[in-house]
Amino acid sequence: MKTIDADVVVIGGGSTGAGVVRDAAMRGYKTVLIERADLAQGTSGRFHGLLHSGGRYVVSDPESATECAEENVILKRIQADAIEATGGLFVTTSADSEDFADGYEEACVNARVPVEEISLREAFKREPLLDPGLKRAFAVEDGTVDGWKLVWGAARSAELYGATILTYHSVTKIDHKDGQVSAVYCLDRRTGETVRVGCSFVLSCAGPWGGEIAAMAGCHDVEVVPGAGIMIAMNHRLTQSVLNRCIYPADGDILVPAHPVCIIGTTDHKAGNADILPIPQDQVQQMLDAGEEMIPGFRKSRAIHAWAGARPLVKDSRVSAEDTRHMARGMQIIDHKERDGVSGFLTIAGGKLTTYRLMAERIVDAMCEQMGDKRECRTADEAVPGSTDHRLYTLDRRLNQVETETEAPSGQQIICECELVTRKKLLEVMDGLTDFNLDDVRRQVRLGMGPCQGGFCSSRAAGIAHELENVDAERASELLRNFLKNRWIGLWPILYGQQVRQTALDSWIFLGTLDLEHLPEPATEVI
Amino acid sequence: MRDVVVIGAGLAGLTAATRLMQQGKSVALVSKGIGGIQLGQGTIDFLGYTPDLIHDPIEGINQTVDDSHPYFHFSADDAASAAEWIRDLMGNDLLVGDGHKNYRLPTALGSLRPTALPQPSMVFGEPSGRKIVLVGFDRLKDFYPDLAAENLRRQTNPDGTPIKARAIHVDLEVREGEVDSSAVQFARALDSPDVQEELCRLVKPHLLDGEVVGFPAVLGLADTNAWKRISQRLDHDVFEVVIQPPSVPGMRLNERFTRLVKSGMKDPGAIHSIPDETGVLASRSRFILGGHVIGFDTDDDRVTSVTVASAGHPTTIQAKEFVLATGGFEAGSLAMDSHGTVSETLFDLPLHGVTDEMINGDYWGEQPLFRVGLKVDEQMRPLDTTGQAVYSNLRAAGGLIGGANRWREKSGDGIALLTGLRAADSIVSAGAIDSEEGSKK
Repeated sequence: MKTIDADVVVIGGGSTGAGVVRDAAMRGYKTVLIERADLAQGTSGRFHGLLHSGGRYVVSDPESATECAEENVILKRIQADAIEATGGLFVTTSADSEDFADGYEEACVNARVPVEEISLREAFKREPLLDPGLKRAFAVEDGTVDGWKLVWGAARSAELYGATILTYHSVTKIDHKDGQVSAVYCLDRRTGETVRVGCSFVLSCAGPWGGEIAAMAGCHDVEVVPGAGIMIAMNHRLTQSVLNRCIYPADGDILVPAHPVCIIGTTDHKAGNADILPIPQDQVQQMLDAGEEMIPGFRKSRAIHAWAGARPLVKDSRVSAEDTRHMARGMQIIDHKERDGVSGFLTIAGGKLTTYRLMAERIVDAMCEQMGDKRECRTADEAVPGSTDHRLYTLDRRLNQVETETEAPSGQQIICECELVTRKKLLEVMDGLTDFNLDDVRRQVRLGMGPCQGGFCSSRAAGIAHELENVDAERASELLRNFLKNRWIGLWPILYGQQVRQTALDSWIFLGTLDLEHLPEPATEVI
Repeated sequence: MRDVVVIGAGLAGLTAATRLMQQGKSVALVSKGIGGIQLGQGTIDFLGYTPDLIHDPIEGINQTVDDSHPYFHFSADDAASAAEWIRDLMGNDLLVGDGHKNYRLPTALGSLRPTALPQPSMVFGEPSGRKIVLVGFDRLKDFYPDLAAENLRRQTNPDGTPIKARAIHVDLEVREGEVDSSAVQFARALDSPDVQEELCRLVKPHLLDGEVVGFPAVLGLADTNAWKRISQRLDHDVFEVVIQPPSVPGMRLNERFTRLVKSGMKDPGAIHSIPDETGVLASRSRFILGGHVIGFDTDDDRVTSVTVASAGHPTTIQAKEFVLATGGFEAGSLAMDSHGTVSETLFDLPLHGVTDEMINGDYWGEQPLFRVGLKVDEQMRPLDTTGQAVYSNLRAAGGLIGGANRWREKSGDGIALLTGLRAADSIVSAGAIDSEEGSKK
């Protein structure tokens, strides 16, 4: 058994966990983050990519709106590489009443959310595909954020401050002695090795899985109800700014341009199990209809992928309603010392990706308070690695990179043509991970996320992975098979139109020409 | 008026058009774009798996299938003569085999893919107990020889011994300064004897005695004997490994086939397989590439014409008979809209195999969607739900016909070939009956 000693163990590698490990490490704690899969593989990678301006909440939750507006500015400063400042519009379509719009500007001003009502002419100039029956349009500071880049940026920053990031490690046990947390045990899912991390504090940032983690420390009945929502990516940027319906928050009311695609979201339904999130046909149809109301013809454009994410909503009857000391709106901290008599253990759930840094600040503040430590939070001022030049992401960045780094035309191999992933970039990412599957690589460079959904790039990526020392043919072949299997999970629920044709071609290549199905099976499961 | 309009220039359409011309019919071959042959692997497959490996693909088509499969309409004899027909038409520099054996040829991933009629440049890839060395080109991103070789080593020769395979790499520059050349660029460069020689110079020092040398399938495009010259110069047996599209072996077949059809149209006597006596009619045939069929007219139960979008204005082509060979979902001739409704996009013909659950959430599971297609009678006429031919003079061929899992079965080429020939032959024999009846009157 491997052992590590730390001050703080953070459980969960989503945005909250990554924010917390960075914050704690920057305050000088020796910190270890444990994630059972890849970073941001859960909720933080399964959203629509919206960096909130706060405009969504000015009426329903003004306090959150103000926080979003403030964090929006901070994140653009410290995580520029993960953010595209697309701007956003709140639009009253021909299907909407103007009631919400009438009080909208005032609500924004009250919540200190920058807003400007613009003329319809100006709105159409910005977004020519908008519903021609548009009634009102308000410009806000919405942006687009790449959840994986955001989380990895925070994690890399934490590593610079001495933190250890353990991905593909499942927590198996949380030990406490005399009511004080003493160690976290986890299993390295790729090697099968058990790791003991000695610590005096555990921060559970496991989102929808928070209840299971709490139970491992003997703290029962922490009920996290996963609120599931689906998103669909369309193959083009039908809009260059974020589009929000200027109505009370509803299903399918946001369209977000992210990288070369645009994403419509989202629905909200209770999921029994956060590990099994279906993409129901009726919700797919609902999203397409909603898209049609903002952008007529939406249905006719090409859907390339769908996914579902689970919002972690904590239901805890044992936390007193008065105890809002450490609570931000939409976020909850459960102190297991008060609740269960286990000190050195906090569970955090809820919140929004846009305010992840602020949440982390509050949680680590709560931890410091319990420890009797006074250490200042510094996360708002220092940019994370990759963002130190403060250049916000732009859509043409990759093309520019490929063109400026290359002397002759075609002087680099483009492995994924859809997303312009070069061989060099791919190797850089593979080298930067201790062990990987192709989905881990995908989350960092968008491999296989374009219209062909891996049809042409994925066998190349498997071939390149195999060139690395620790990837044999058995593993490389299985990486490829798993990649296709996983891509399919998000493909089949929205398979129609041009994507059917693409899928048929991809099947022709993999099942027909390359006969991938009949390679020998691997002896052991590849993770 | 032409005798027949054939729509689609993939293997099925080219086959039907050629056969019709050979039988003295005037044909308009209309195609939206280049057909699908060059997307495939450049071999003619009849049947590889059902799902067990098939050893004799021609005999195999009898045992395979229920009455929903296109092969239900064909016998092993039909398949044997189809194999002979296409092999003779393409020539023995492009296709070999009699269809009674599945060659098991290495793919770019190292799987052993069963195929009935391979290109001769591929056959030395069949595991035989000899040592294999796979050659990778640093500047070609679609072939990773180490992966393929190691996967081959995980499999066995026919005698049960492990396959011995290794990989080497060479840096062949086919376009100056370019490190991302496509398979087609490599193939065009390797048409040149100088580049062939350069390749041999790079490879030769790495070879060990007795090794069979495998290259990605880019050894010449126009020069179908490039592989032989390279083999002679290396003094080793050589084979090509099929990689993902664009497929150079597929392009060779496609170019040979389309050139044959075009030259047959211009000068039927010049082509051995299109007999002299049909010259007059064949020369009235036309190949309209880039002709997107956008509409059609009918009279009672007959199709009378199709309308083609051509430069400037639509063109109407009248004919006595029509063959629809537009392919399946991959070609866009079958489609599914955002409400899940599937359709045949040109004639709106009834589709079979449509259910509420056509898409399987498991990628490796059966996909009923790709079995959806037309159901046809013995003459390849699409049937409606009551089993009647929708039009008396409209026939279908190839991937449009449902019931097969073409890619998994490795049956797509055989289906295209058999249905294309049958569609043509039934037109010819129906015509013979017509004229007999006419003479009786």
